[in-house]
Amino acid sequence: MNKKLILVLAGLGIALGAPITASATPQDDLKQFQAYYKKRFPTVPLEAYKDGVNVLPQYADQVENWRLLMEFPPYDEEVDKAEKLWNTPFANGKTYASCFKNGAKGLAVGYPFYDTKSKQVRTVVGDINECRVRNGEKPIKNLKYGDMARLAIAFKMRSNGKKMAVKIDSPGAIAAYEKGKQFYWARRGQLNFSCAGCHVQNAGNTVRGNVLGAGLGHGVGFPVYRTKWALKGKPLGTLHRRYGGCNKQVRAKPLKPQSDAYKNLELYEAYMNTGIPIEVPSQRM
Amino acid sequence: MATKIKARKKGNATEILVLVQHPMETGNRKDKKTKKLIPANFIQTMIFSVNGKTVADASLGIGVSKNPLVGIRVKNAKSGDKINVSWKDNMGKTGSAKTTVK
Amino acid sequence: MKRRTFLKGTVATSALAVAAGAGLLRSGQALAAGWPTAAFAATDLAAASKAVFGSKGAVSKDIKIKAPLQAENGAVVPIKISTALPDVKSIAIFVAKNPRPLATKVDFSGGAEGFYTTRVKMGKTSDVFAYVNSGGKILKNSAMIKVTVGGCGG
Repeated sequence: MNKKLILVLAGLGIALGAPITASATPQDDLKQFQAYYKKRFPTVPLEAYKDGVNVLPQYADQVENWRLLMEFPPYDEEVDKAEKLWNTPFANGKTYASCFKNGAKGLAVGYPFYDTKSKQVRTVVGDINECRVRNGEKPIKNLKYGDMARLAIAFKMRSNGKKMAVKIDSPGAIAAYEKGKQFYWARRGQLNFSCAGCHVQNAGNTVRGNVLGAGLGHGVGFPVYRTKWALKGKPLGTLHRRYGGCNKQVRAKPLKPQSDAYKNLELYEAYMNTGIPIEVPSQRM
Repeated sequence: MATKIKARKKGNATEILVLVQHPMETGNRKDKKTKKLIPANFIQTMIFSVNGKTVADASLGIGVSKNPLVGIRVKNAKSGDKINVSWKDNMGKTGSAKTTVK
Repeated sequence: MKRRTFLKGTVATSALAVAAGAGLLRSGQALAAGWPTAAFAATDLAAASKAVFGSKGAVSKDIKIKAPLQAENGAVVPIKISTALPDVKSIAIFVAKNPRPLATKVDFSGGAEGFYTTRVKMGKTSDVFAYVNSGGKILKNSAMIKVTVGGCGG
């Protein structure tokens, strides 16, 4: 465990008024993480974090943007396309639903997860491509937006309203989780920010004109429809598209979507979201 | 360009919302690659009708956002009333959508 | 010069000339019949509201404007106008500081309520005006919407 990470963790310990040890279990981490936000934003219930920055009191002047847009969600068209793709059979006549238990209904609450058989973290995006390959199709190359984002919406939509319940229940899972946690708390890039620096310690604060969203809830609404991306013709984004964008912003090298580092990070964040209901897609600026 | 319509009860009125996938280009933007002005391409008129009778005639300009949403409310709409919306842009393209009041 | 005079948007100005000056016409494009060219081409609120309603209008608190206090993205700012004023014949939305303030207007022909909602582009922080023709009376209200450009947002 590197020195920087220890210092950052110690910082959180001071913020919480309790010591955090580097050897805490995922369950201990989860308790402390969610308790921190409960203290920082006492009026915001756990389930509300699915709506991201919109639920923070500091966003009151801007929340009407989201409320009014949601009266006729801009992503309506994309959801139709997502369903169409999901229901279009492969050349062999099978559909995506056939790859997953119950046609993927309720499955997303357990994603991502560490697969002890293949010894790797499995994500929705990865499993969609796995499904394609198993049925004689080529994997989708673009893992940031477009058809893969639509398919991920179709998959996760089938768990809308259900609470996140990712399992960290094997040594391999714990190891992957710890790597994700380390990534989250480590500083990176020329601007030397960590994910936690903005989304834990400065959640709700305004930095460079933007209110920072809470780390709690991150990813629950992904894939996301962003106004900013829609204006450029690529409205949807997978979680790893956003991770890359965020890394770029602190002038760190963006990693490839579905790289191990991002999958581990996704695992850590998904576990921290335990108890938050999925609602996909989400609309953000 | 896809046109979607939603009609739902809002108190005693029926709210009709229309969402069109349309670029709403102002004519003032330059293409980053060619450096040429992208021609104005925007919805100019949108007509709402109930059972064939016009209830609203909207005029839109370049100040309306891309993928525009336009909405009105009608009073005394009855279950089964047919709602139609038709639009035309400055290039002459048209689009429409319809729905029935539940 | 001539072009600027056209853009002042007086009622007497040729609509085609105004449209051409405003860059709204390309070869082969026809103007939709009844589209208020001069009003859309007007470059200040006074000229635009005069072109639409012939009046500057009187302030009325009975016109409700629902909009964010601060826009998330100036290109997509949702606005909802509602009023219980009687006999609403038309509603128009103006973004005062836009190069062309008139964003949209709607004429009602019986059956519609005093309600209009859309999403507008805003170049910068500005008052957004809602004008209502209520039985021939021109009334208005406004709301200030802040537009900032954030430095983050990936």
